[in-house]
Amino acid sequence: MECQDVQTYLADHLAHALPPDTADAVRTHLERCASCGAAYEEAHDTWQRLGVIAAPRADSAAMRARFQHALDEYVQAAAATAPRRAMALPAWAQVAAAAALLMVGVAIGRGTMPAAEPDPQIVEMREELRDMRELVTLSLLQQPSAAARLKGVSYSERLEQPGTAVIAALLDTLRYDSSANVRLSVIDALKPLAEYEDVRRGALDALPQQTSPHVQIALIDFVGEVNRREAAGVLRQIAEDPMTHTEVRTRAAQVLEQVG
Amino acid sequence: MIAVRSGDLAKLGALFERYHAPLFDFLARVTGDRTAAEDLVQDIFVRILKYRATFRDGGSFETWLYRIARNARADYFRQRMALDPLDEEALERPAPGPGPARLLESDRDRARLARALMRLRDDKRELLVLARYQDLRYEQIAEILGIEVGAVKVRVHRALRELREIFLQLRDENAPWNAKTSRPTLQII
Repeated sequence: MECQDVQTYLADHLAHALPPDTADAVRTHLERCASCGAAYEEAHDTWQRLGVIAAPRADSAAMRARFQHALDEYVQAAAATAPRRAMALPAWAQVAAAAALLMVGVAIGRGTMPAAEPDPQIVEMREELRDMRELVTLSLLQQPSAAARLKGVSYSERLEQPGTAVIAALLDTLRYDSSANVRLSVIDALKPLAEYEDVRRGALDALPQQTSPHVQIALIDFVGEVNRREAAGVLRQIAEDPMTHTEVRTRAAQVLEQVG
Repeated sequence: MIAVRSGDLAKLGALFERYHAPLFDFLARVTGDRTAAEDLVQDIFVRILKYRATFRDGGSFETWLYRIARNARADYFRQRMALDPLDEEALERPAPGPGPARLLESDRDRARLARALMRLRDDKRELLVLARYQDLRYEQIAEILGIEVGAVKVRVHRALRELREIFLQLRDENAPWNAKTSRPTLQII
């Protein structure tokens, strides 16, 4: 065994991860070669010293209580937002019932409702309410706390038709927000808005800037779905970039194949 | 984890019991901050809940978990840097304990090595913590970091060498012959 071979085995030798034959060969070399022997001794000494540095002990009871609380909150929130189960009717019966209800509704509407203009006051109030929600959304998205920004993203999802300012703020958040959680929630919020050209283009432009593999994968899926062929160039770049995380590259290659 | 992914959230409790202590150990050693480590463990398990659908069949749970942990830590420090730049001196300050006079030489060395570890570049410290304390094989570490196994081994060796240099430097700085002592002043009568 040569010095160069021993160098490649040193880390394994320290961790006792070599097969017995190779470990013997390394040991023999270390005994005979003063330079490799000294290098190993130093590394071994540091490795051993590291082993006795104690870390603070986890306060498991407190952590467990916090975890249980967070889990309970999550389960309650999920239960509150879960859609209620529809009555288990066969598909043909559901279609028939829907059609019947629609016909009854149309008939009643034609017979009883005058063709009235919407009340201007109500229209005005609705617009004010929408403006207010937009304002709250924009304000929350600029808060320093990630929790507040997450709330802002969630507010944006309540808007029936978000204005250009909200869309621009969401895209801005997707590009520059420091929290991967916030960026991930923006991707979800943008999905119903994929009909807008700005959203599709903005998502595609934001993709090369992402560094978190979770966000990269979620965004790759999104742009692959909504941008199709236009996404191919960016996806190819990611799939071929050796500095990118391997799973991200694999996902980019898979989506690239799908968009053809 | 497959049960959690399918919606059996109660099973997450078992994963918490098994992994919260090693995760805390990893984060406490890498950040040098106990409170941050506790917060991050919490954040990691919330992320597991949120992103459970991204866990793939046949994938290693530990690898996935440590990737989430690394992302959570990176996000935490990005936010913290933006709001409140890190006090580097505080990071290097040894943990409170008995004063230097009451420490044995071996204890002092241990404290110096802990300080040297905190002075090591972030990615190198993380690598050494994964390799030395987390009971992970180099193959797993390579997967977590997204690099080749050979690169992990080479980097472990280099990081150890660099850590030793910092450690010896700290030792020299604190050696009695380098210590600044006040000389007795002559009194003119």
